[in-house]
Amino acid sequence: MAGEVVTLQLGHYAGCVGAHWWGLQRCPPEGTELSHAALLRAGRDGCTPRLIALELKGGVGPLGRGGARPEPLAAWRGDVANYAEPGTGTALRDRGQRPGDASADADCGSGAPGEGAAPSAGSSTQLWSDYLSVQLHPRSIYVLQQYNHDGDSGRLEAFGQGEKLLQDAGCMEELEDRLHFYAEECDYLQGFQVLCDLHDGFSGVGAKVTEVLQDEYSRKGILTWGLTPVTHTVADSQKNFYRVLNAALGIVHLSAHSSLFCPLSLSGSLGIKPQPPIEFPYVNYDASLNYHSSAVLAAALDTLTVPYRLCSSRGSMMHLAEMLSFSGRKVVAAWAAVPFPAVRGHSLPDALCAHQQDVPWKLLSSCKEQKVSRCFAQSVVLRGVCKESPTSCPGQQPPSPLHACETAEQVLQYYLHTAFPGAFSASHVLEQPCVTLPPYPRIFSPLLSRQGFLPDDLSSYSAAAVESIPVLTSLQSSPVLRTLLCDLCKDLQKLGTRRCASFFAAGVEEDDFHEALQELRTLSQCYQMGFEADNSEDESDSD
Amino acid sequence: MGALGLPLCGVQRRACVRGGGGGGGGGGEFRLNWLLRGESVLYPLPSGEEPPNTLPDPPQHSSLPFSEQIQHPTASLIAKVATAQDDITGDGTTSNVLIIGELLKQADLYISEGLHPRIVAEGFEIAKEKALEVLEQVKVTKEMDRETLIDVAKTSLRTKVHTELADILTEAVVDSVLAVRKPGEPIDLHMVEIMEMKHKSETDTTLIRGLVLDHGARHPDMKKRVEDAYILTCNVSLEYEKTEVSAGFFYKSAEEREKLVKAERKFIEDRVSKIIDLKRRVCGDSDKGFIVINQKGIDPFSLDALAKEGIVALRRAKRRNMERLTLACGGTAMNSVEDLTPDCLGHAGLVYEYTLGEEKYTFIEKCDNPRSVTLLIRGPNKHTLTQIKDAVRDGLRAVKNAIEDGCVIPGAGALEVAVANALVKHKPNVKGRAQLGVQAFADALLIIPKVLAQNSGYDPQETLVKVQAEHAESGQLTGVDLNTGEPMVAAAAGIWDNYNVKKQLLHSCTVIASNILLVDEIMRAGMSSLKG
Repeated sequence: MAGEVVTLQLGHYAGCVGAHWWGLQRCPPEGTELSHAALLRAGRDGCTPRLIALELKGGVGPLGRGGARPEPLAAWRGDVANYAEPGTGTALRDRGQRPGDASADADCGSGAPGEGAAPSAGSSTQLWSDYLSVQLHPRSIYVLQQYNHDGDSGRLEAFGQGEKLLQDAGCMEELEDRLHFYAEECDYLQGFQVLCDLHDGFSGVGAKVTEVLQDEYSRKGILTWGLTPVTHTVADSQKNFYRVLNAALGIVHLSAHSSLFCPLSLSGSLGIKPQPPIEFPYVNYDASLNYHSSAVLAAALDTLTVPYRLCSSRGSMMHLAEMLSFSGRKVVAAWAAVPFPAVRGHSLPDALCAHQQDVPWKLLSSCKEQKVSRCFAQSVVLRGVCKESPTSCPGQQPPSPLHACETAEQVLQYYLHTAFPGAFSASHVLEQPCVTLPPYPRIFSPLLSRQGFLPDDLSSYSAAAVESIPVLTSLQSSPVLRTLLCDLCKDLQKLGTRRCASFFAAGVEEDDFHEALQELRTLSQCYQMGFEADNSEDESDSD
Repeated sequence: MGALGLPLCGVQRRACVRGGGGGGGGGGEFRLNWLLRGESVLYPLPSGEEPPNTLPDPPQHSSLPFSEQIQHPTASLIAKVATAQDDITGDGTTSNVLIIGELLKQADLYISEGLHPRIVAEGFEIAKEKALEVLEQVKVTKEMDRETLIDVAKTSLRTKVHTELADILTEAVVDSVLAVRKPGEPIDLHMVEIMEMKHKSETDTTLIRGLVLDHGARHPDMKKRVEDAYILTCNVSLEYEKTEVSAGFFYKSAEEREKLVKAERKFIEDRVSKIIDLKRRVCGDSDKGFIVINQKGIDPFSLDALAKEGIVALRRAKRRNMERLTLACGGTAMNSVEDLTPDCLGHAGLVYEYTLGEEKYTFIEKCDNPRSVTLLIRGPNKHTLTQIKDAVRDGLRAVKNAIEDGCVIPGAGALEVAVANALVKHKPNVKGRAQLGVQAFADALLIIPKVLAQNSGYDPQETLVKVQAEHAESGQLTGVDLNTGEPMVAAAAGIWDNYNVKKQLLHSCTVIASNILLVDEIMRAGMSSLKG
């Protein structure tokens, strides 16, 4: 049994990722490798995520308002007439609320094209509540009335605003009440996973929330994911500065209060200069849509969090955190291959053999990849590949050492050992793939089969909707982060405090800012690989 | 009740301060009517057999956003005064707005005839001094017994909720303040916890001499109801978790791992057995109950062990409840199980669990000498709960004020009539045109009895004249009886207002009205000089 985890979604983009993530968990195949009880609570009427989602006014659609659950009619003995409002949104929701139907769809194979289609990327996917496919507990959604989600005024823009928001006693009390509601009923609470927006004032909210968690629930794991949507064109430089400042302050505070912190984004850079978004070889997604980008992150997140959600609980969130965060390296980077490129019918050793030179994953932590892949420690999860038996015919000489390993875990372990010599790697191999039924967007390349595999010869591809994909992810404490943090430091220094006076007017003291900058620098030094200290960078840092 | 709408329109019309008076300077014009219209919409007239004897006050929480929404500088200034009034005294916000508006209106009569605002302001100042003198004379210093406090609370609460509910709340509010009062120390209203429960109807709101926790025991075998129970409040982890030292388990075989886990578990089991020992010591063979309320977690194994011993255990109590627990039941909160003694236990007469849908509540009642109590507010919906909560807050403040002042003021407009009367008599002693300011001040105060009469559906002028005549004749403090529209002696009817509310009213209204008048004059001068 895995211990219980309480999830917090702070901000709109966190809501987007969350909505997809809950959707991915909605209809698992018969396998019971992952424990449902870890993230979901069994209430009086059905399972609901153990979730607190903070949103701004206007950020949640009709589904979320008032808790999203129809009143139970048990006490009423008379006739009941149901009137459903027609419309795309409702249809989508109805589908989601009957997971049986959705999986029946999948089983019968053909899948009526109209029904099974993911919602078109139009107006119906503006808010995350539009593609949320599970029911939420009435206590889940907490709308902060003080700020607007959309519009010109009343936005939650700066770190200081977010911090101040939670200094309000009423707000804090409400949050504590909700936390308490979930935490109190857990038998083995293992920790909290916080999905937090880094680009706006929610980074400040996250800083306060994690502080409260650390204070109130000491010795529980706090795993924080700093999310940023893909940066659009830099129209407003002021907004861009805000984003960088929020992200930097967020990283400093969130990593200080959490057991483990991981920036997670498809955006190419957290800094001032925008970089093109990350691309995956078999995914054609529209980077400007939160609906698409959050779906990719959700698939990665669902796999990254596997180690503490396994039924055969071998580790808790605390274990995972402690394994990765030694000597102060609380910030980790996430890598993911969505989907993991595996040819249909190939066994796991075959699939891995194809990538002897280079691990096929991409870095999801907004930073340029480095050619030399090295790391201090990592936790790798591979799911959905090993259905085909890895055993080769006895007596024959195995084509590679990978084929000689007995279990799938050993294969992966061996593979990692060759790819990352000297690094401490924990690995998990899961049979069940990541299920990508609608409302998950259809973003996969037509080359992929329904199970998300590559065809053995290119001619025979079918354009069927991809229903599940194999995924490979890694949570890594690696020197890449030094670049990320250093770049952020440099950007902040360049920016100075003068150019964003209004940011500092919103509650962050200049001293706090310089302190944060210093901490960021200290943090980045943790990731220095002793022998390859490139002096040029250090010199530029020292001034 | 339909007729009630009409007189209010009159208030709006008359409250249209200096409507056309600004004449030359458009910049100096301001209107308050929309401000008051907003109020009349927000706070509908109290209905019922017994109309209130003072003005309705806006609920506490609405006053702050209220002042933020207002754009007009003058109006926002007035709204801020109301907020300040609320912060300081917790009552009298509507009176504030009314009096300031009326002061400006009365002043305008004279200013439009050519009187300089400075002189009006001087008159106001003199009048204020005199008014405060009168206030000191008429205040009734008496023993703040339960009866008086109930009268004070009733006067405050009946303006906010309907009579039936007000009477229930009155008793609860007064008793709760009396329970948390400690001689020689200021009253800490935080010791009165306000707990909401969406259940039954609002008249089921009660005072719990103890605490209500919004969660319950997590073990099916634990008793749902315990009488005469010892209460152990502690902050000790009773759940198996990794030790604080950052060390993974290093083991070679499954058995070895089991052994390590067992050793870790042993640690927790020791703690549980210490608690069980204490229970055995204090309860012995008697059928006294034993409750453990823990701020940290308790895992199923520990719960099991405790349940076997007949101990009811609650886990993960909220921090703020932990502080109250020791105040309510006595005892001390323990941070370790090493030095448990019977002295650190609290006691409660009755502990029971109540389940409402998915939520569980644990009532800890009948504490011997509670220094913290709980007002359990019930209501069918969120709106009712908020309304009652605001009313209760104001009621608590009113009772606290009365106790701290040690004196009360007759309500129902009696004070205002008396002050106005005294000011008119005082007027000849004032030199020069400042007399006019004193007159304006006296007239302005009369808005209070007028609006009271109006709100209960009587002719304001007729009622006012009657009350003034009665006051002049008998010399007693006479107010408006809202049931009949006739004069009555406020003190005899048990209608008491807070002394410090009235004092604050007189101070702030005068200052703000004078300032607005003077600034208005400067603005107008500026405008005309620009034109010239």
